[in-house]
Amino acid sequence: MRTQPWWGSLGLLLLLCGLPWLLPNDYYLHLAETILIYTVLLYGLDIVVGYTGQVSLGHAGLFGVGAYVAGVLSIKLGLGFWLAIPAALLITALFGGLLALPALRVVGPYLAMVTLAFGTILQILINEMDFLTDGPLGIKLAKPWLGHHPLTVSEYYATVVAIFALATVLMNRLVRSHWGRAFEALRDSPIATDCMGVSVYRYKVLAFVLSAGFAGVSGCLYAYSEQYISPNTYNFELTILFLLAIIMGGRKSRLGALLGSTIIVLLPKLLDDIQSFRLTAVILALMVLLGSALSVHRGLTTVRRVLVPVVGTAAIALVSFKLDAMTDWRLSIFGVMILLVVYYLQDGIVGFSLHWVAKLRRDHDHVGHAAFHSVDVGQAPITAHASRGPESLLEVADVVMAFGGLKALNAVSYTMSRGSVLGLIGPNGSGKSTMMNVLTGLYKPTAGHIAFKGLSITGKEPSAIARSGIARTFQNVQLFGEMTVLDNVLVGLHHRFNSGLVGICLRLPAFKRDEDALRTRGQQLLQMVGLHAHADELARNLPYGKQRLLEIARALALDPELLLLDEPAAGLTAADITELLALIEAIRAAGVSVVLIEHHMDVIQAACDHVIVFDFGEIIAAGVPAAVQANPKVIEAYLGA
Amino acid sequence: MDILLQLVISGAIVGMIYAVIAFGYQLTFATSGTLNFGQGEALMLGALVGLSVFNAGISYWWVLPIACVFGAIQGFFVEWVGVRPAMKIKSEFGWIMSTIALAIIFKNVAENIWGRDDLSFPSPLSDTPITFGDAYIEPMGLAVIGGALLIMLAVEAFNRFTILGKAVVATANDRDAAGLMGINTRWVIAFSYALSSLTAAFAGVLIAPLTLTGARMGASLGLKAFAVAIIGGLSSGFGAVVGGLILGIAETMTGFYISSGYKDVPGLVLLLLVLILRPAGLLGKSTIKKV
Repeated sequence: MRTQPWWGSLGLLLLLCGLPWLLPNDYYLHLAETILIYTVLLYGLDIVVGYTGQVSLGHAGLFGVGAYVAGVLSIKLGLGFWLAIPAALLITALFGGLLALPALRVVGPYLAMVTLAFGTILQILINEMDFLTDGPLGIKLAKPWLGHHPLTVSEYYATVVAIFALATVLMNRLVRSHWGRAFEALRDSPIATDCMGVSVYRYKVLAFVLSAGFAGVSGCLYAYSEQYISPNTYNFELTILFLLAIIMGGRKSRLGALLGSTIIVLLPKLLDDIQSFRLTAVILALMVLLGSALSVHRGLTTVRRVLVPVVGTAAIALVSFKLDAMTDWRLSIFGVMILLVVYYLQDGIVGFSLHWVAKLRRDHDHVGHAAFHSVDVGQAPITAHASRGPESLLEVADVVMAFGGLKALNAVSYTMSRGSVLGLIGPNGSGKSTMMNVLTGLYKPTAGHIAFKGLSITGKEPSAIARSGIARTFQNVQLFGEMTVLDNVLVGLHHRFNSGLVGICLRLPAFKRDEDALRTRGQQLLQMVGLHAHADELARNLPYGKQRLLEIARALALDPELLLLDEPAAGLTAADITELLALIEAIRAAGVSVVLIEHHMDVIQAACDHVIVFDFGEIIAAGVPAAVQANPKVIEAYLGA
Repeated sequence: MDILLQLVISGAIVGMIYAVIAFGYQLTFATSGTLNFGQGEALMLGALVGLSVFNAGISYWWVLPIACVFGAIQGFFVEWVGVRPAMKIKSEFGWIMSTIALAIIFKNVAENIWGRDDLSFPSPLSDTPITFGDAYIEPMGLAVIGGALLIMLAVEAFNRFTILGKAVVATANDRDAAGLMGINTRWVIAFSYALSSLTAAFAGVLIAPLTLTGARMGASLGLKAFAVAIIGGLSSGFGAVVGGLILGIAETMTGFYISSGYKDVPGLVLLLLVLILRPAGLLGKSTIKKV
């Protein structure tokens, strides 16, 4: 996590406050105001695009809803600015929730199209419902009043700065909370997020609602800033501009949003004046050329890889001298910028700069500062609560899982008692992993029943099953790669955070207490698997074996009563396997029952009390490990007749 | 009753155009799991290029194949610039954004070449409507329906009976396995983009004489055709036709009975509803995502 120095933010705020005295006239102040207003919207868009990793093409529509809430309240009800702000926030958030409904089942291109359709519908509705919105004529708005005094241009600007600052603080708090972590988790692996007891659907909807809230406030500010709104403003082009701004400035960064917003506000002005555009294009082309040359010289990249951006920016500069007016080609310029940004500046200007600085720094001192917490967190129990309840923990009765005609599980029944370690073995494709996916709710069984602690969990949502006490790891590791190791575990600890939106935004004592306590708990869990020194590294940078251990730590964070391990020893060295066995023993000693899928027979022998053998979706043998291994049917299944 | 029949006929004509564009979405989605968000712009470019060729004095029936060739080249270009780099870095966000960016560029370029106003495309067939009962259909309308069906059948036949077509189908079934069997899947994907833009350009030249042609005609057609592709299911060619007819007729009805301003709404609402209730589409097969 990047922590910007506080004096940087303070300096920026002072600069913003001082702008009315620094800028020569109201026109420039209005531009600055527009930049701040767009930035508020971009914060919201960043929640959806940067944090949850979805594409939204509907934010111009939401922006329009915010603006029109202000407009309609003013002309129909005579209500002013101060009521319009909360109303725009709430009503637009409601629309965001509506937009998120189809998000239940669609991802990627589908979601992009859904948001595009939604945005288009909003624009049509604003245009056609003239009894409410005055249609294409648009709405004129007076400057807001404070008491009996209409705000001057600089006073309204000050209001915008205040709301911008507030939005920045709220956004920072939001993304550095368990909600923010849930958003990022569902971007990196929705399946693992659900299996950590964090409902993907719930947090997707929340992300859209919050995002729309920001868009609504921004739209309302915009309406009063322009003092005139009309339906045509909130079109596809604006949506694309917003997306360009957020990816060009830099995702997951407040500074990036501000930068992106500055670019999209100033660029059209720049294009209006061909002379200044030529100058900018030449400077940009030279900068890209210089930067690329420097990078190639230092061996950071190859000529081939920098060829397209260098040629591309040079071409823009050349073309700018050929044309007399750029205004008509504005959209093409935006299009080319999107292409360049998408492929050559994926982390945006902010991300790119940070990356570059880090690379140069590493060149200078080879020591490197792998900043890690080496806090002593002390010994801690493996689970927070002792396992109690009925002796029989898991009952699987006649479970059938059919994919079309193929029965991956065929009438499987077994029971598992509390505190035991159950091994599932069998040839590849025999149904072991399917069994785990059925147990955790990822697959809904075609027939049969599953009871956990005496309660039916058949057909329940994965996140509900996880919260009831079943945690798992995955055969092909499903970590939240772009998050730190500690944050991965904190997603597992999500269920122990009690604060809601109010607690997060106000940083209430209860929230801080939770956050501190659970960070310590996370460190303890990492210590248990020997990863505490890596707490601040990105999960995807860990070596494979450590990633598997991190998955176990994350699963233990759920305080499970039943832990499902899917081939934990795959790809581990002999030394790692010894550690793994000790860990499984410690987990069992803490009272957590374990289901273990494994191909390493020595691991099964050492760890399991009881073994079930699958073949073609059916149980062909069950019993203590030694007896099962001697079973002729098992030998036949593994080695052939 | 007669007005109803008339609305159904007009709806069916528009619907068939949606079906052809939707069919184009299916082609690229099958081979690569990606879509061209600028499919509507491919149609627009086809129509405008066709108009220019026509105005240069070439017969309408020669305009069709020329526009098709142009569409194919445009499709290759989209794949080369917008899709291939994104697939290399496995970035879904990448191809969505870059095909949108290309669509914006195409539209803007078209605006600068052909102007912002809508142009009329003279009809190659007689304007005398064919009447049956009290309803009538223009000969060009019949040509649209026939042409749309023909191009879809032609692509299907191509996929079934030629070796290149079989490579397309194999890639659609399992890209990795097809690659291991020696099929150059990268080329097949590029080819599917060419086919997809070709059908769109063909549809553009077909529909142009019935409506007006202009740089802005693509965006809403592309979005509504996506609705059709979703309603019909992204895996079913027959579904595209059914979805196209449903949407086309729903639209003309809305335009007549409610208000022409709301004409675009039913398609979008239908799209949202289908995605909420049955994401695989009415005729598509739903698949279980393996973990």
